[in-house]
Parts: sequence; C-alpha cells; structure tokens
Amino acid sequence: MPPLSLFLLLSALLFITGASGVLLRRNPLVVFMCIELMLNAANLAFIAFSRYHRDMAGQVFSLVVIAVAASEVVVGLALIVAIYKSGRAMDIDGLSEMKG
Amino acid sequence: MLRVLFALLAGLSVSSGLGVVLNRRPLYAALSLVVNMLSLAVIFLMLSAQFLAAAQVIVYAGAVMVLFVFVIALLNPAREEALVSDPRQLLFGAVVGLGFALVAGIGFLGLTQGFGGSTDLGSGVSLGSIQSLGRALYQDFAYPFEATSLVLVVAAVGAVYLSRGR
Repeated sequence: MPPLSLFLLLSALLFITGASGVLLRRNPLVVFMCIELMLNAANLAFIAFSRYHRDMAGQVFSLVVIAVAASEVVVGLALIVAIYKSGRAMDIDGLSEMKG
Repeated sequence: MLRVLFALLAGLSVSSGLGVVLNRRPLYAALSLVVNMLSLAVIFLMLSAQFLAAAQVIVYAGAVMVLFVFVIALLNPAREEALVSDPRQLLFGAVVGLGFALVAGIGFLGLTQGFGGSTDLGSGVSLGSIQSLGRALYQDFAYPFEATSLVLVVAAVGAVYLSRGR
C-alpha cells in the first residue's frame, strides 16, 4: 500500500490544477468543471485519511461533499442556462454585476 | 503491485485534470473530467471505500457529467481563442498558484513526518463496507445526513425556479 503522503500529494496536485483552471479559464462551464476537480481532490484527501486512521467519519464527509457538489452543479447549470436565455455573452469576466 | 497501480492511476488523473484546464473545447474538457472521475473511483476502491467508488461513478461520471454534456450541447459554446487574454491575469494567476503551491508544500513536508508512517494497514474490507458506512451515517452523523437531504431539496427547487419559462 502506498503511504498516506502520496495520496495527499495527489490530492494537492489535483486541487492546484482545479484552482489554476478557475483562475485562468473564462468559460463558466469550464470553471464549473474545475470546481468539480477541486471538490474531488478534497474527497480523495478525506477518504485517504479515513482509510489510514480507520475512521468512517472521512467517508461520511466525502458523501456529504458529493451531495453538495451535485446540488452546486444543478443550480450553477440552471444559472448558466438562464444567462444564455437572456442573450448575454458566456464570458465570466463580463458577468460582474454582483461583485461588491 | 498496488504502488504500480497507484502510479498509473495518479498519472492518469493528473493528466486528465490538466486536460480539463487546457482543452479549448468544453466538450473535450468534460470528457477528460469523466476520465479523471473514473480514475479517482478506482483510487477510492484502493482505499477500501467501495460504496463511495460506486457513488462516484453513478453520481459524478453518470448524473453530473450527463448534465454537463447536455448543457454544452444546448449552448454549443465556441472554443476560446486564447487561454489567457490579459497578461496581468497570467501574472496574478502565477503569483497565487506559486503561493498556494508553497503552502501546500510546507504542509506536505510536515505531513510526511507527522501522519501515515505505517503502510501495513491490514484488511480494509470490513472498514469500508456498506454496513459500517451505514452505521456511521445513521448513528453518529444522523443530523448532518438529514441536513444533506435538505440541501438537495433546496437545490432541486432552486434549479426548477431558475429554469422556469417566462
């Protein structure tokens, strides 16, 4: 079995990949996919800790993360479709009315 | 044997993750995200989380990705011409990325000394079984579990409200 640190390193690599995608890409669909990537990386860390500490709490957290990610995708894609129907350009830099 | 499998899966998941970020066409990004999620599901199996591996395949690679592909097919977004339009954006992204990598690296160095010394874990079959997950879910974490169902209901109602006809 590989050591725990290898799983955590993989999780950190996937998280950094997703975070750089959120920072670099401007298509909101791709930004959502990169958020999924980051959530999956967090799941991997939870499950690795659960296995190496023999504690089921990590798997329960990971199940909650999966449910929250599914709800986030549903609401986010509904927002994207609503923006598309209103005739706006699909550019995340142009959708800045809600910034404080 | 397990190390070779882990190396293969780690390479596959990192390269498909890079494919999500670097592909210009959103549909190709979605397909590499499917590859990423399937390889992570096999890693979950390695970590004896059988139920979560199945949930990963069904919920992510199944439902979520079908939703993504539907919306991509509906909107038919054009491919982005340049990955980075503004050079300041690239500089900002590089600074944030390097800072984050630094923090993660420091944490990782600390972790290699702190946790996970043992690699001989014994069998995890009973650990990750549906029985033990169900016991944890319905006894120790009953209230968070019910709160999760509330989140799902709110998300479903919100999606229906957002996408209603005028």
